[in-house]
Amino acid sequence: MSRPISTRWTSALLLLVAACGSSSGGSVEASGPPNGQPEGPAQVRLVSPLPNGEWTLPAGDLANTRYSPLAQLTPQNVKGLKIVSTVTTGVPHGHEGNPLVVNGVMYVVTPYPNNLMALDLTKNGQLKWLFRPHPDPRSVGIACCDVVNRGASYADGKIIYSLLDGHVVAVDAEKGTEVWRATVGDINRGETLTAAALAVGDLVIVGNSGGELGVRGKVVALDVRTGHEVWRGYNTGPDNEVLIDGTTKMFYPHDQGKDLGVKTWPVDQWKLGGGTVWGWLSYDPETQTLFYSTGNPGVWNPDVRPGDNKWSCAVFARDLKTGHVKWVTQLVPHDSWDYDEINENIAIDMEWQGKMRKVLLHPGRSGFMFVIDRETGEVLSAEKFEPTNWASSWDLKKGEPVKDPTKQTKHGVVVKNICPSSTGAKEFSPSAVSPRTGMLYIPAHNTCMDYEGVDANYIEGTPYLGASVKMYPGPGGYQGELIGWDLKTQKKAWSIQEPVLPLTGGVLATGGDLVFYGTMDGWFKAVDAKTGAVMWQMRLGSGIIGNPITFLGADGKQYVAIYAGVGGWMGAVAFPDVSEDDPYAVLGVVGAMKDIKKYTGPGDALYVFSL
Amino acid sequence: MTRTCLFALVLAACQAPTKHRDTTGATAAIDVPVGPVPGPGEASQANPNPYTKNDDVAVEEGFKLFQRYNCAGCHGDHGGGGMGPSLRDVDWRYGDTDAQIYDSIAEGRGFGMPAWGTKLPEDHVWKLVAYIRSLRTAMEPDRPSIAADTEAPPNTTAGLARPQVQNPPPPEQGK
Repeated sequence: MSRPISTRWTSALLLLVAACGSSSGGSVEASGPPNGQPEGPAQVRLVSPLPNGEWTLPAGDLANTRYSPLAQLTPQNVKGLKIVSTVTTGVPHGHEGNPLVVNGVMYVVTPYPNNLMALDLTKNGQLKWLFRPHPDPRSVGIACCDVVNRGASYADGKIIYSLLDGHVVAVDAEKGTEVWRATVGDINRGETLTAAALAVGDLVIVGNSGGELGVRGKVVALDVRTGHEVWRGYNTGPDNEVLIDGTTKMFYPHDQGKDLGVKTWPVDQWKLGGGTVWGWLSYDPETQTLFYSTGNPGVWNPDVRPGDNKWSCAVFARDLKTGHVKWVTQLVPHDSWDYDEINENIAIDMEWQGKMRKVLLHPGRSGFMFVIDRETGEVLSAEKFEPTNWASSWDLKKGEPVKDPTKQTKHGVVVKNICPSSTGAKEFSPSAVSPRTGMLYIPAHNTCMDYEGVDANYIEGTPYLGASVKMYPGPGGYQGELIGWDLKTQKKAWSIQEPVLPLTGGVLATGGDLVFYGTMDGWFKAVDAKTGAVMWQMRLGSGIIGNPITFLGADGKQYVAIYAGVGGWMGAVAFPDVSEDDPYAVLGVVGAMKDIKKYTGPGDALYVFSL
Repeated sequence: MTRTCLFALVLAACQAPTKHRDTTGATAAIDVPVGPVPGPGEASQANPNPYTKNDDVAVEEGFKLFQRYNCAGCHGDHGGGGMGPSLRDVDWRYGDTDAQIYDSIAEGRGFGMPAWGTKLPEDHVWKLVAYIRSLRTAMEPDRPSIAADTEAPPNTTAGLARPQVQNPPPPEQGK
C-alpha cells in the first residue's frame, strides 16, 4: 500500500536556493538560508497512498502530506493558469476547508448551515444536487470563531462531515440523501463540531470543538456504515476514560503515572478542561495508528488551574480499532497563553541524523517546529520558526519547554509583549510536505499580545475565558509568512513575507514542484517549491483561509481549486458586526486585524483553475 | 383551492361592509403601523428603567456584570463583537431603546443569544443596559484605546481597575 518516494537533489541546486532564498531579514528568530551543508535535503519516504487524480480525504492522504504527484503544472507553465469556473456557496462566512473530488464530482461543504453541494465536473461545475442538513441555529452563537467547517471525507459511497450543532452526517454521494446522522456533541454544554471528520477503514473519527466554553475534549470513532459509536477517548480525566492502560508507553517520565488527566488539575477542573480536537487527524496505515493533538486547557486564566493540565496541548497516538492510547507527549504543560497544539501531525519517514526514522511533523502553534518519533513520542527536534519568547527553547532531554518566567501570564496582571499571540505562530491552516524537495511548507504568522488573567465564571453553554487579551503585529514588519522549511537542517530555506495580514490558509505541494497558497487579502499564489519564487498570482474576490487542492478532470487536465471566503477567528474582523475600536474584541484579535476591512470583505466563492 | 378561498373572501368583503364581523373570529384590524422592529418596543414587559441616563454607578456595575455573566466572551471585552454582534456600532437589529435592549437580554434572540430574564434579577439586566448605552460615550468605563499601537502598546488598563468581582453562585437555571 505504501508508496515510497525518495529523491536527492544536487548541491548545486542547494546553492541556488541559498542564493535566491530567504527574504526574511529583520525578523527576530527568522533564520537565513540553509547553512550550506553539502548534502542534499532530508530523504523523505511517504507512508500512505497519495491522491491519484482525485481528492477523497480532508488532506488528500491519510498521512496529511497535502502532496499531490500531479505534475502537469510546473514553475515554467503556471503563468498561464486561468479561472475555468467559479461557484458561489451562498454563505459569506469563513471557508476554512477544501472541497473533495470523487468520480468526476466535486463536493463542497459550506460554513453553517453546513450545506453539501455536489458539482458535476463534466458540466463545468453544474449543481448536481444540494443537501441541506438544517443544523440547530443556536449553534451559531456557541461557535467561538465564526461558523466554519474544515471539510469532509469520502468513504463507503458516502460523504461524511460534521455539522456545527454537534452531529456528524453521512450523505449518499450519488443521490444526495442522508444515510445516517450521529450525535457527538451537545451545544447546550458548549460543544460544536468544526473539524474535518477522517474516514479510515470501517471507521470515521471526529473530534470536538469548544475549548473557549469549558468543554471536555474528546475524539469519537463511528461505524462508517451506521454512524454508531465504536469507541470514544477523552483528552482529560481518568485513565479509563482517556483509554490509557498498562500497555500505554509514555516516553517522558513526567507523562508517566496514573490518572494524570485528573491529578494535574484542581479538583474537578478537568471536567471543564478543554483539550479539544478542532484541528487535523492523521493516520499511519503501516502501524494502524491514529494521531492528533489537543487544544488549550480551560479556562484561559492559568491561575485557576495550577498543574500541568494533562492532556491539553499534547500529541496523542491511538490504536485505530480500539482507541487505546499508545503514547501521549505534552508539548505545552500548563499552557498559559491559549497555545492550542491542534495543528496537523504529518506522518512521514525521513532521514534524521543518519538514520531513517518514523516521524510526525508538527509545526506548533506555540512557535516550535516539532519533529516527533511517531513510534515512541520522543521529540527529536523543536526549533522556532517565528518570533517566540514565552520559552527560550524546548528541552529535548527533559521533554518540556524552557519557559521564560517573565512571560508567565497571571491573574490580575497585564503581561506584555508575549510572542506568539494566542492565534499561534501558525494557525490550524495546514502545511504541505514535498518528498521531492525535502521541505515542509508552513503557512505561518507573526503576532504578539498582552494577556491578563481575569475572573472566570462557568455558566454552561457560554464562553469560559478568564482572560483579557489584546494582540498586535509582531516584530519585523510582517504579519504572515510562507516558510519553505528544510527538513534536514530544520531551518528556513526560504520564506515569503506577507506584510499586512497573517496567513491562515493551507498549502498544497505538487509533483510539478509548485506550492499553492492563498493570503487573507485574497491573493492566490503558485510558488516554485525549490526557490520560493512566486511564479503566478491572482487576486480573488475575498480573503483566502481555505486549502488548495489539485485533481485531474475527465479531460485529463490538471486542475486546482480553492475557496475564497474570509472569516474564522482572525478573519472575523472583516465582518460588519465587529467594531475595530475594541482591540479586545473577537477574543483579542481585533488589535492585530483592525485594518482587514481595507483589504477584504466577506465572500463565499469556489474557484477552479487550469491552463 | 386557494384561489377559491380568496374569491370567497373578496365576495364576503363586498357583501359585508361591517368590518368587525368576519367569520374567522379575529379581532379588529390593527390601525397603527406594526413596524419592522421585533419586540414590544416601549411597551416592554419589564418595569420602567430605574436608572437615569447619567447614573455612573449603574454603568460601572453593568460593566462588571458584563464580564461576570460572560457577555464579554461573546460580544467582546468592550462590546466590540465576536461570537455575538458588536454592541459598539450603530446597528441595532432589535432596536436601541432602553426597553428594547432590556428585552433582547431578557428574552434572548435567535442564533444563540440566551434568554437571561429567567436567570438574572431585573436590576442586573437594567445595569447591563446602562453599560451598553454607555459604550463609545464619555461615560464608558475603561474605554479602550484605539491608538495605532503595534509593537509597544500603551497600558490601556491603567487608571480603571479591571473588575474584581467575586464569583457569584451559579445561576439557578443555568445548568
